[in-house]
Amino acid sequence: MKGQRLRRVFVWELPVRIFHWLNVLAIFVLCVTGYLIGNPPALLSGAEASNRYMFGIIRFLHFTAAYIFMFNLLFRVYWSIAGNKYANWRNFVPTNGRYFTEIFKVLKIDIFLQRGKEHMSVGHNALAGFMYFVIFLASLFMVVTGLGLLADNSTWWFTRAFIWVPAFFGSDFAVRNWHHAFMWLFIIFTLIHVYLVFYHDYVEGRGEISSMGGGWKFIEEEQFQAEKPE
Amino acid sequence: MAPITPERRLTYYEELRHRGYSRRDFMKFCTVMAAYLGLEASGTAQITKALMNTPRIPVIWLHFQECTCCSESFIRSSHPIVADIILDKISLDYTETLMAASGHAAEAAMQKTMKDHYGEYVLCVEGSVSNYGDGEYCCIGGKSSKQILQEAAAGAKAILAWGSCACNGCVQAAKPNPTQATPIHKLVKGKPIIKVPGCPPIGEVMAGTLVHLVTFGAIPELDRVGRPKAFYSKRVHDSCYRRPYYDAGLFAETFDDENAKKGYCLYKVGCKGPMTYNACGVIKWNNGVSYPIQSGHGCIGCSEENFWDNGPLYRQMSSFPGFGIEANADKVGLVAAGAVGAGIAVHAIATNIQKRRLIVDVIDEGKKAEKELDNPLS
Amino acid sequence: MSGQRIVIDPITRIEGHLRIEADIQNGKVVDAYSSGTMVRLIEEILRGRDPRDAWAFVGRVCGVCTSVHSQTSVRAVEDALGIVIPPNAEYVRNLMECAQYMQDHVIHFYHLHAMDWVDVVNALKADPKKTSEIAQSISHWPKSSPGYFSDLQKRIGKFVESGQLGIFANGYWGHPAYKLPAEVNLIGLAHYLEALEWQKEIIKIHTIFGGKNPHPNYLVGGMASAIGLDDASGINAERLAYVETLIKQGQQFIEQVYIPDLMAIASYYKDWGAIGGGLGNYMVYGDLPTNGYNDPSGYKFPGGVILDKNINEIYDVDLRSDTEVQEFIERSWYEHEDGNSAKGLHPWQGETRLKYTGPKPPYENLPVEEKYSFLKTPRWKGHAMEVGPLARVLVGYARGRDEFKEVVDRALKTLDVPVTALFSTLGRTAARGLEAQLTAIWAKEFYDMLITNIKNGDDRMANTDLFNPERWPKQAQGVGHTEAPRGALAHWIVIEDQKIKNYQLVVPTTWNASPRDPEGKLSAYEAALRDTPVADPEQPVEILRTVHSFDPCMACAVH
Ligand code: HEM
Ligand code: HEM
Ligand code: NFV
Ligand code: SF4
Ligand code: SF4
Ligand code: F3S
Ligand SMILES: [Mg+2]
Repeated sequence: MKGQRLRRVFVWELPVRIFHWLNVLAIFVLCVTGYLIGNPPALLSGAEASNRYMFGIIRFLHFTAAYIFMFNLLFRVYWSIAGNKYANWRNFVPTNGRYFTEIFKVLKIDIFLQRGKEHMSVGHNALAGFMYFVIFLASLFMVVTGLGLLADNSTWWFTRAFIWVPAFFGSDFAVRNWHHAFMWLFIIFTLIHVYLVFYHDYVEGRGEISSMGGGWKFIEEEQFQAEKPE
Repeated sequence: MAPITPERRLTYYEELRHRGYSRRDFMKFCTVMAAYLGLEASGTAQITKALMNTPRIPVIWLHFQECTCCSESFIRSSHPIVADIILDKISLDYTETLMAASGHAAEAAMQKTMKDHYGEYVLCVEGSVSNYGDGEYCCIGGKSSKQILQEAAAGAKAILAWGSCACNGCVQAAKPNPTQATPIHKLVKGKPIIKVPGCPPIGEVMAGTLVHLVTFGAIPELDRVGRPKAFYSKRVHDSCYRRPYYDAGLFAETFDDENAKKGYCLYKVGCKGPMTYNACGVIKWNNGVSYPIQSGHGCIGCSEENFWDNGPLYRQMSSFPGFGIEANADKVGLVAAGAVGAGIAVHAIATNIQKRRLIVDVIDEGKKAEKELDNPLS
Repeated sequence: MSGQRIVIDPITRIEGHLRIEADIQNGKVVDAYSSGTMVRLIEEILRGRDPRDAWAFVGRVCGVCTSVHSQTSVRAVEDALGIVIPPNAEYVRNLMECAQYMQDHVIHFYHLHAMDWVDVVNALKADPKKTSEIAQSISHWPKSSPGYFSDLQKRIGKFVESGQLGIFANGYWGHPAYKLPAEVNLIGLAHYLEALEWQKEIIKIHTIFGGKNPHPNYLVGGMASAIGLDDASGINAERLAYVETLIKQGQQFIEQVYIPDLMAIASYYKDWGAIGGGLGNYMVYGDLPTNGYNDPSGYKFPGGVILDKNINEIYDVDLRSDTEVQEFIERSWYEHEDGNSAKGLHPWQGETRLKYTGPKPPYENLPVEEKYSFLKTPRWKGHAMEVGPLARVLVGYARGRDEFKEVVDRALKTLDVPVTALFSTLGRTAARGLEAQLTAIWAKEFYDMLITNIKNGDDRMANTDLFNPERWPKQAQGVGHTEAPRGALAHWIVIEDQKIKNYQLVVPTTWNASPRDPEGKLSAYEAALRDTPVADPEQPVEILRTVHSFDPCMACAVH
């Protein structure tokens, strides 16, 4: 048997990598500050309010991260047209039957650990792509509900434009509740996502983890040929 | 034009004429107002008639499923005081709480206003309508609240929905809403409805809204859900004098602890001020004496839609529908995250068993490739 | 049916939706049926909720007697969990309750009841000068000059001339049952307007401690208004001084306006001292603790039961005994789970299962021989009971409390009527005034107790040791009671797994306005209406007098 022939493939362009890590950072900050906004810590301090602005800072961080998160997201939408084939929107949005067959296959082999031929995509596999799509929708939801919460007290036309959100949900209570609840979707996504990245790295040995650093993956020559770049 | 004696109040028309406006100006005003109120062309005639003949706007105030605290709050208004409103500004032709007549005589008073001032009177509704069955859970004079509302709404110029009951069903609409308590806007279509929510609303806010209607002859500017912007455009939190403590992260942990005595923010003991639109922090209650937060209790969100089901009062995060009162988003989320973590652990172990072959193969292949590199000729 | 059946629906100048059907024969009521026609089912809505939140829900049972249900609710939860509240909280609750009495009773007298006795239109015929003389002869109240009355008369004259009579439209003006001279009518009308302004002041005591009125905030374990003498928010010297001022102003109005008016008007209607007596059974749970809620001997309002007008014998009430307070539904639109609708249930076992069997609206008459109301029918050891001001004044009097004796004897002397005149429509209305007088005095006493206690270094306002449900037993049950303005009020709660398993309210107006029981025994309204004269069935002002003397609250009664 011949040894593995691995080709060094440039998968994640710099903008994708920057997007990814900005996104990670923003979500981390948003979850921590968001959680604190919802459940402030017990501080039995004798300090005077005039000397402190702790909660104001937490909220400021949340809003700053929120805007970074939002513009980053918008940029990624643009890059899904402008970027390379691995960054293209078709990797995320289920558009054809093959997509679903692949999801099913990945589910069977990677998730339920059935025997069968490993599916080794060069870019995202269909299931991963689909999960990113879901989290993209969830991100939109966070942006819309978040801006909805800001809308009433803002004078900026952009935030004002989301004034319909609380009305749509019935009240600010509902908006805030859903905004809060959806945080857990991000936490759970991250757990699974990071685990699977490690899983693939461990099982397939193609440098998955470091790929989001340098952009390179190491792909079997046969697989690369089978999935020829256009 | 009827002769004006000092004994008689001027009608709107007479008043305008006295100020030097022509009849044409007056008609124009009526047309504009009809358009503003969303009435058809025929509405102009009604308004003209109303303003020519009616010195005080007739008001019918209905009571359905309620606790009368909206009426009580209304009579607490300090500016304007209620005696002035009912003697000088409006003609309160029907209200079960204050009117002299009872039974048939009361009915007759309402019918007369509905007939004589069709299209002109303001309809105030306190309470929700029971939309269950034939309406048997709320009857007055043998008629169901549903029927009474429909009849009275037909000729109303505008409808004022008083309090959370009329605006969103309030306490009787809390789960499981056994009587199908229903807010007014869900039952009446095609009429301007002004929502004045709160349980009850602040007396001055009620009086202010009514007086705006009467004084300016127009509906005040409303917000996205139909509340007067003047009173409902800010959250309690945005005008709360404890806000600096909130920003500083200084919170009362329990009622009556040192922090509570110092007047720290009540967020952690359940204050719903950050989600509640009301004027409590600015206008305050009972002529500016205090408001819930100033008296040490968190805002319970009494002017918000379905506030009774927005979770227990003394917890910040609300319960989530379908999970019972002890569950909230964080508990559910934490359990889910825990389950996922456990799943990951199981998956990792299973991977090492199930995929052992594959992993070993990949490693072997790597070793082989390494060897090939070390000994390119073998 | 005997005689002519008349229907009065809506009964106005009350809280809520009350319907009276009465049979009139030879100018008298021979039988009457009282029905509550609106239901919200708040007891069912409470199931499964946090017991600490219950006060807010039940507070919304009524916005007229606002605060009393909330207070009763926190007492029920505190009773179930064994929480003892700090003295300051007790004083503050008492202060708020006294303020509630003062406000509620004044509103009732002037705005809900007066038009049964005072002919508003007739007041236009009064001579302002004579009116002023009468006013000054009965009180020191400063607003009593001839100019004051003539200005008012002009204002009302204009109002009447406008042809838009508003709330005064279609009253039974000119009915022969109105007996006051024009001048007294004018005084009544003047004070109608003054009272309308006054009432919004006295309840500021609620605003200071509870943040708002109607529906001030309560708290399981005490009150949320922390005492913070050195802080701008919190109960500090300014807030306390405000309370004191309000109490003083309140006392003044009651002493100088309400009581003199009550006596003046009553003196023209002494015949009503023999009409509308009704049951003759009176019940009081007791309230306004001076030594803690758990010590009934320190209550300002002593508890007790009087049967058959016999004030020489007083029975004790035990709210926990399952054979004392029971509710029946035989004639109400409910059913029991086991189908046996004739049995009475103690509220801890109480059920609230709606089953409407009445006619489909719109309807002309109710089937009064069957079920005809959304009120349940409470009974004490099987007896129908009247609750309310009259019951409290009688029990206080019968228990020999000096404070009660003093005000009652003075009133009887002023009016020159015997003690038996108390068992009547007039007695009920008079008792309410006397009670307002007493609570105005007590408010100041509770205020002084509060100040003294704070001065002694106790600034606790809430006991939060058991606020966290995790420290609760798996199961608990409790009962809380209050003397509400309209009478004896109690809530029973069963807590399981930190949630409400059952919550039952038995409310003053439920006692008084309920339909008959399975044995056909009448409740207070129906009994009191029997034999009431009705001069003109088209204008049954006499029926209104007796019904209004109870100060009906139907939102309370049905809940
Ligand atoms: C992954 C993304 C995000 C997460 C996980 C997140 C999480 C949270 C959480 C948990 C809260 C507290 C809610 C509560 O319990 O009351 C919160 C509040 C809030 N978030 Fe976010 N958020 C995210 C994105 C955003 C975005 C994009 C915006 C808007 C541009 C935003 C605006 C807000 C606002 C306005 C509040 C209310 C803060 C306040 O009123 O003090 N969030 N967020
Ligand atoms: C908050 C945490 C994270 C979020 C929300 C997140 C989200 C995402 C998203 C949306 C993508 C798709 C990228 C694209 O095509 O634009 C992605 C890919 C990727 N992420 Fe993350 N990520 C997170 C954390 C991490 C971490 C900690 C690592 C590394 C240890 C990592 C490694 C990767 C890799 C290797 C890919 C490409 C995998 C693939 O193609 O399936 N991520 N991530
Ligand atoms: N009945 C009654 Fe109430 C009183 N007082 C409450 O308990 O009125 Ni609304
Ligand atoms: S909104 Fe609240 S205060 Fe007004 S009637 Fe309804 S329950 Fe009472
Ligand atoms: S007390 Fe309530 S409204 Fe006021 S700052 Fe705190 S959270 Fe906001
Ligand atoms: S509870 Fe209601 S009264 Fe104001 S402070 Fe909150 S909206
Ligand atoms: Mg009950």
